[in-house]
Amino acid sequence: MFKLKPMTVAIALAFSLPIGVQAQNTAADIDDIRKQVQEIKDAYENRIQGLEKRLKDAEDSATAAQSSSSKTDAQTQNVPMRQSTQNAFNPAISLILDATYGKFQQDPTKYAITGFQPSGATSPGDRSFSLGESELFITSNADQVFMGALNLSLHGDDTVSVEEAYFQTIALGHGLVVKGGRFFSGIGYQNSVHAHAWDFVDPSLVQRSFLGDNYGDDGLQLTWVAPLPVFVEVGGALGRGRNLVGTSSAGGLTANDLNKNGAGSGSAFLHVGDDVGVSNSYRAGISYLQTATGPNAFPLADFDTVTGVTNTFSSSKVRLYGADFVWKWSPEGNYQYQNFKFVAEWFQIHREGDLTFDTTGAAVTGPFTQHQSGWYMQGAYQFHPYWRVGLRYDQLQKGSFDGGINSANITPVDYTPQRYSAMIDWNPSEFSRIRVQYNEDKSQQNLTDHQIFLQYIFSLGTHGAHKF
Amino acid sequence: MKRLFKWLLPILLATAMVSPAMAALSIFVCEPEWGGLVNEIAGSRATVFSATTAMQNPHMVQARPSLVAHARVADLLIYSGAELEVGYLPVILQQSGNDKIQVGKTGNLDASKYVPLIEVPAILDRSLGDVHAMGNPHIHYDPRNMILVGEELKKRLIEIDPSGAAEYESRYKVFSDHMHAAIKRWEQEAAPLRGVAVIENHKEVSYLFNWLGMTVLGSLEPKPGVEPSAAHLYELVQNQKAHPAKMIVPASNRDPKPSQWLSDQIKIPVVPVPLTIGGSPGAKDLFSLYDDAIRSLLAGLKS
Repeated sequence: MFKLKPMTVAIALAFSLPIGVQAQNTAADIDDIRKQVQEIKDAYENRIQGLEKRLKDAEDSATAAQSSSSKTDAQTQNVPMRQSTQNAFNPAISLILDATYGKFQQDPTKYAITGFQPSGATSPGDRSFSLGESELFITSNADQVFMGALNLSLHGDDTVSVEEAYFQTIALGHGLVVKGGRFFSGIGYQNSVHAHAWDFVDPSLVQRSFLGDNYGDDGLQLTWVAPLPVFVEVGGALGRGRNLVGTSSAGGLTANDLNKNGAGSGSAFLHVGDDVGVSNSYRAGISYLQTATGPNAFPLADFDTVTGVTNTFSSSKVRLYGADFVWKWSPEGNYQYQNFKFVAEWFQIHREGDLTFDTTGAAVTGPFTQHQSGWYMQGAYQFHPYWRVGLRYDQLQKGSFDGGINSANITPVDYTPQRYSAMIDWNPSEFSRIRVQYNEDKSQQNLTDHQIFLQYIFSLGTHGAHKF
Repeated sequence: MKRLFKWLLPILLATAMVSPAMAALSIFVCEPEWGGLVNEIAGSRATVFSATTAMQNPHMVQARPSLVAHARVADLLIYSGAELEVGYLPVILQQSGNDKIQVGKTGNLDASKYVPLIEVPAILDRSLGDVHAMGNPHIHYDPRNMILVGEELKKRLIEIDPSGAAEYESRYKVFSDHMHAAIKRWEQEAAPLRGVAVIENHKEVSYLFNWLGMTVLGSLEPKPGVEPSAAHLYELVQNQKAHPAKMIVPASNRDPKPSQWLSDQIKIPVVPVPLTIGGSPGAKDLFSLYDDAIRSLLAGLKS
């Protein structure tokens, strides 16, 4: 017979070792162990009771010091909770859940914007029930110099993408902030807003056509806020050029395009803003973004539709100019009961480079230039703490096209895509939103698509802060 | 030369007179009460910009461009803390590029760290409403907290602007003495309010009720941050029979309609109090804020 030390028992219990392994022990041994366990339990219970008493005394004296006789709520106590574990340093985590039900009169899988290149997602959504993006945000200060953030997007088709993963400086001072990694470009207004914070289910047509849902890149960004009584911010970024502005992601950049030193994209933006009285605030901005294609060929889906043959462009420089304006109003600046938000954006895209007509046949290559533009404006009015209604109008303009020697081969369609949208959403708290939206979508020539969306968005975990 | 001196002297004098004002500390406060505290302790050595007013819900503030501009040049940031400003302040801090006011720096004063917080939730679950994990952040309505935060503010001011140390010390001493005397006076004046049962709107005035020993029987909000509902208001009407409240006390930033409806039903007066400085014509500074609130409550008790 051996004598178990209390410590051994404690360790055995801690690792949840089944007592059964001691099966060969006699009943006397088991009794012995039971007795020892009981002793340990008693000892600890005494200590816990002692600690509880001390805690209660401390609470009582704290309450006395407060000289409080207010209602004691069952769910509250007057002692601050102190986190003392390593978990206290865990990053802030928030999770967005999002799904839609879509009803489309026209087939969304055949969706196109007549005369415009699709950029990023080409589909306006799916019919029936479909899971949207579940977004996972993780953010924390790394140290006294840097903060870091990760935004993973879990797509309904079981794929995951890193939407944003960046560091940002917090201690440079002088109004300077450096951001590096993968992040949404600071151009325009809507571009850097995550899908869950949009005022409508879908992005504007101009955003969808030129930038995709959100144009992001791997790179470095510098912003500077001027030391002025009004808000003036200038910024610029250099990037890898992972995505070509105004080009389908399906025909995106190849490894070869990206296999070069230096920057593949560059952007710059200027923002000004201020309050007008206590009830109004605005921000206005202009921006510029440039990406280059390199020697590889890119598809020109809209020209393919017109010509019936395959066309590509290469060695192209794509430049995007933008202007944006946001205005918010609420009575006395109190956003709780009523507020109104107006957003308008305009973009113009310039493509110049080599155009190859009928790549598998005539294969005529020559320089080309194309200018296209688009704009939208939208308003969202919160007329009750829980309810908002919104209206949006979208338009794209075909602009100019000079096909050089291919001018005879390609004549772009003369069409102005338009869309009208109306939405109403119910927000029982800052953490949930149920939305209904209707679009009259005239993106395609001779086709009017009546679209209805039902959407939910839930935000779990850390209360996120939103930009203006 | 003489003529030049004649011209220069007034300019030099004027510059000397103007320069202290030009060199004034720039202080960004999230709520007006901290501006009031700065006025007491820093006087003309500081200029104050307040992100919100007494007519706004301090939980629901937009990250306005003007806030970034003022945060950019601030020497000191003062906020209630305990997650009150969590919806906008992190964005402002990040965008401002101002290292002086980042969390952990001397220029970042989180007032909730220096006072005992009440109503710390034992259960953290959003189904209980917009609860604040660290406790009720509306700490300003207990004037004793102003002395505690004021002392910390004085230390920070001295660290940031050592040349004004003597002034900050003496102004704090004066403020603290006045406040101690005023608290004694308020507590005497408010003695009839002890144990008086009220219905609140949101937990913005909890610290005042707590300090004066008043009892909160119910809240117009069914849960913190959740709008008053018909069902909940009806429940309050029912409760009034068994546990009668003396008055309904909403803060200045709240929709008066639910209070008025309830008041019509249960025949007790609505006694609005300023949320903070600027919330009523009388609440012009810290002292008149508590004066105004206590006077309103006493008047409500008599009516």
